[in-house]
Amino acid sequence: MTPSLGPRGLRARIVLAFAVGALLVSAVLVTTTFLLARNYLLGQRESAVTRQAFADANVLSSRLSTAGSQVGEELVDLVPSGGADVVVRSGGSWYSSRLDVGARDVPGSLQELVTAGSAGTARISTPTGPHLVVGVPVVAADLQFYEVAPLAELQASLRTLTAVLGAGALAATAAGAVFGAWASRRVVQPLEQVAGAATRIAGGELGIRLPPTEDPDLLAIVASFNSMVDALASRIERDARFVGDVSHELRSPLTSLVTSVEVLGSRRAELSDRGRQALELIEAELDRFRRMLDDLLELAKVDGTAPAGTVAPVSLSALVREVLAHRGCPPGLLHADADDATTVRGDKNRLERAVTNLLDNADRHAGGIVDVRVQRQDGSVLVLVDDAGPGVPPTERERVFERFARGPRAARRSMPGAGLGLAIVEETAAAHGGAAWVSDSPAGGARFSLVVPGAAG
Amino acid sequence: MDRVSPRLLLVEDDDHIRMSLRWALEDEGYQVAEAASGEDACRSVATAAPDLMLVDLMLGAMDGFQVIREVRRAHDLPIVVVSARADTHDIVAALEAGADDYVTKPFQVKEVTARLRALRRRAGGQGGSGGEGAAERPTELVLDPDPVAPLVLRPERGTVHRGQDQLPLTLTEFRLLCELAANAGRVLSRQALLERVWEHGFFGDERLVDVHVRRLRTKVERDPSAPTLVVTVRGLGYRLDPQ
Repeated sequence: MTPSLGPRGLRARIVLAFAVGALLVSAVLVTTTFLLARNYLLGQRESAVTRQAFADANVLSSRLSTAGSQVGEELVDLVPSGGADVVVRSGGSWYSSRLDVGARDVPGSLQELVTAGSAGTARISTPTGPHLVVGVPVVAADLQFYEVAPLAELQASLRTLTAVLGAGALAATAAGAVFGAWASRRVVQPLEQVAGAATRIAGGELGIRLPPTEDPDLLAIVASFNSMVDALASRIERDARFVGDVSHELRSPLTSLVTSVEVLGSRRAELSDRGRQALELIEAELDRFRRMLDDLLELAKVDGTAPAGTVAPVSLSALVREVLAHRGCPPGLLHADADDATTVRGDKNRLERAVTNLLDNADRHAGGIVDVRVQRQDGSVLVLVDDAGPGVPPTERERVFERFARGPRAARRSMPGAGLGLAIVEETAAAHGGAAWVSDSPAGGARFSLVVPGAAG
Repeated sequence: MDRVSPRLLLVEDDDHIRMSLRWALEDEGYQVAEAASGEDACRSVATAAPDLMLVDLMLGAMDGFQVIREVRRAHDLPIVVVSARADTHDIVAALEAGADDYVTKPFQVKEVTARLRALRRRAGGQGGSGGEGAAERPTELVLDPDPVAPLVLRPERGTVHRGQDQLPLTLTEFRLLCELAANAGRVLSRQALLERVWEHGFFGDERLVDVHVRRLRTKVERDPSAPTLVVTVRGLGYRLDPQ
């Protein structure tokens, strides 16, 4: 892990906290254990050496009490266990069991203590390692008895203990970090679930909810998240239903209007010139009104309240050909791949609406349709509509697909797609897993493209 | 087209729509009788003896579905439904109740008259007056030679019998059965059936075919829940298999 200077993530913080916690706890435990063990071992050794010293002093004392014994001779015979050496002060002279130990190894404070008539211990360090010196006054023989015992063995034990405890502390720290990583994953997992669900909901899957949980800590999050999505979904649904209901309510008056105007239209000859002009205006506006209402209903559908239409294989070549024929366009306008090659899976009526809107856009805002192509390309089916207009400047290319594309009123009137038509194209494409965009046509105008994934096979 | 102008019963509770539709339909040569409610409509079917019906689904106390079911008890005349939206379940429900076709508001009168003409044409196509290709039509087709109750279609006379009983097929169901029987053993796509029976174009609603096939099965199949005569060919369409 490289320490980052930026803000640390939640997971990194949890791992770090667990590792540091484990380190602190194990450090305290290790230190305490070490100190207790050392004191205990030292104490054991000390009492063992002390017992030994008293025993050896007794032996020496009893031997000296037999007649004619010399301290030096008796010392040679005395072989204390555990590799200890003996130093004796008797009558102002020092004797020792080996040559490399002597008076210099007995600290002055201990000498004073023993000379004063009480036993004592001291620790010294010599070139051959640490030693324990135990002093015992032998009053009967008027001598001071010192036993010098090596502590090297104890020192080695303590070193081993230190190594073991240190390794244990490191292992505990590592285990803490691992546990922290595991725990942080457990903690973050629900958050990731929430994030995943939120992403899918933002993508339009309003039916997504978090799975119910029995974890009391997560209950509140799951419940409030789900109720938030419920509220959001019902709000979206309400909005879409409102649009649907409004357009629905407008249909009755529109029906009698359309029908009455048709009756008027068949009596055109009876009207004056001005009357005819007015009738034509009404006809044109009614047509626009009707289209807008259809667009609104279509959008309400796209927003997901209406049941999904029937999805079936549709040949886009055939569909575009039919739409063009319906509009009375010359068949030469269309350059299409074979019907079988341009089959997609989709809702025929919605795709028809999208294609109609593309053609309407070219007709009404961009000087007319120049060329229509339907091609299969890389597993997708592409519908291209070229128009005779001035094209769409790059800055406007995304905006033309927005609902009632925003902008200054004047610009809005002259801009292609001002309204809902292209928004429906875009949303229909998206609903079919495709896309819609505008670019420059080779002929100079704009080229609107609609792409839908092709049906398999 | 017709020597006598067809009688049409217009069932619509919105006065303005009814009035304007009446004008427009009269311009197109129909004799229009009006009904402003479901109850009215049921009475008028008996008194006015219409050749066709145009029924709005949204009526008062007795709605369009009930009117259609009531009329279907005794009449096989073509019924076209007027609905506000094409994407609701209302359409399927109306077709299941016995309607033959539908138009959505706001419609243009020429759309409606085109539908009505198609329905009228096939109504005139059989029943003795001699429709298109009458010469080649066999007079009798045995679709199911069951020894006890054979199923016999007589295209010329416009009847289907199961044993001694004449089955109460509507004109559209009858035409659909004739179309399937004429192509027995071959698959007909929904699109093809839409074009031949309803004269709808590319953007016709294939639910029309599905609902009518369902209705037809309840009348001609031995076991409508396990059809053997009119079978569905997944992804392709329908096929009539003579038993």
